[in-house]
Parts: sequence; structure tokens; C-alpha cells
Amino acid sequence: MNPVARIILIAVYSILGLAAAGRATVQILEKFSEAPVAYTVSALSAIVYIVIAVALWRGWETVALVGSSVELVGVLLVGTLGYMDSDLWPDETVWTGFGSGYGWVPLLLPLVALYFLIRGRQRRAASGDARA
Amino acid sequence: MDAYVSVVYPAVLVVCALLVLTGLVTLFAVGPHRVLQWVVTATYVAVVVQALWVIGLMLSGADADLVLAIGYLLATVALLPIMGIGRLGTPEAAAEDPDPTRPVLQPDQIARVDAGAAIAVGIALAVASWRITIVFGA
Repeated sequence: MNPVARIILIAVYSILGLAAAGRATVQILEKFSEAPVAYTVSALSAIVYIVIAVALWRGWETVALVGSSVELVGVLLVGTLGYMDSDLWPDETVWTGFGSGYGWVPLLLPLVALYFLIRGRQRRAASGDARA
Repeated sequence: MDAYVSVVYPAVLVVCALLVLTGLVTLFAVGPHRVLQWVVTATYVAVVVQALWVIGLMLSGADADLVLAIGYLLATVALLPIMGIGRLGTPEAAAEDPDPTRPVLQPDQIARVDAGAAIAVGIALAVASWRITIVFGA
């Protein structure tokens, strides 16, 4: 994986993890009973971001790949369900409106991460084939 | 509160804007990396001043949700180490880590990593600082 992209992704995932963890902590501590599903999703998204940041740092590419995929599915699912039936989400999560509250970074970031992770794998596979 | 809104908060926004601008320039032409490092230092100073000011406001009994105020304050401080994250990719830093997958960066790559981190931190810091002013009802 491109080292520049890798470290920038680590930085951005760390920032998003920090933001999501802070949001989820306040939501769960202060008003969990008002929207338990939404606040659980917020906490889940925070965990996913932190896991991806750590995985990218430690070089656990499969974990980062699975984490980014979960993130992409989550933001698409929560965003779509929010538009289909707004009653499902009494309050906002990080992924509400496809991450519009965070400048759509939650939607764009997994796409960028998956691009670099998959391209890195393809390049490694191609160089392995060339050596064989 | 007036001094915070008219001096400290605008100063933080200015360094955030400079972080993003110099970050964008450095991303494409690594020459201004030295300027970016000066802006990073200025950001540290601005955030420390903001933190001290906000702590002073909280101690003086300003009307605010303390949990949110402390949360956003901690977030602004936690963002600081992410700037200059490129230093973790220097050959010296990598040599001290037994992890074989740790990336080792060339000087131009370090500049680009610092630039990307500066852009992300500049945006996040501006949002967190804006939220602090909202929490204090400005």
C-alpha cells in the first residue's frame, strides 16, 4: 500500500474515530434511552474507525479491508434507511444522511481506503507473478 | 466571553485556515514544508491559549454544558499530535520499531503526509473550536 496514503488514512481515521467516540460517549451517557439503536450505531462506528486506524498502522491489511467494507455498508445502510423511514432514527448517528454531518467523509473515506488497499494487494500479486 | 469570541476564537480559525492552505500547497509542491512546520507551531500555541481560556471560562462559572465543553476541549488538544505525523515515517523512527511492515518515508513523502494531516486537522480543529463557542452560547 502506498505509504503516504496509508499514513494520511491513519490520521483521518484517528480524527473520525475521536469525533465518533466523543459523540457516542455523550449520547450514551446522557440520553441513551431516547434512541438506543442510533446511539449504539454511533458507538459501533467509533469502534470501526479506531479498529481500521490501528489495523492500517499495524499493517493488518485484511482487518483494514474488512473494517472499511463494514464501514461502507454501514454508512450506505444507515443513510438509505434514514431517507426511507426517518422514524427508524429518532436522533442522528455519524452515518446519518450518508455522513452529511461530517462533510460526507464517512462515505468517501471507506471508498478511498478500499481503493488503496485493493490496489496494494493487486500490485503485490502482480509483482509476485512477475517473480514466479 | 467577549474576548474569547473576538480574539481567541478568530485566531484559532486563522491558524486552521493557514493549516489547510499551506497543507494544500505542500501536498502538490513540497517546498513550503518548512512554512507548514511554522504554522503547526503556531497552531500548538493557539490551541494551548484557547484551552487555557476555555478552562478559565469554565472556572469562572460561564453558562455551558461542562461535559460537552470538556469533550470538545480535549478533542482540540488530542488533534495536535496528529500534525507532523510524518515524523513517524523517518528512517530513524522506523529503525527503533521491530515491526517489519512499518512504512519508511522519503523526505518528500514525509512532507506530503504532514500536508495531508494538516488539512484534516485544520478542518477538524475549526469544527471543534466552533462547537466550543456554541456550547458557551456565543
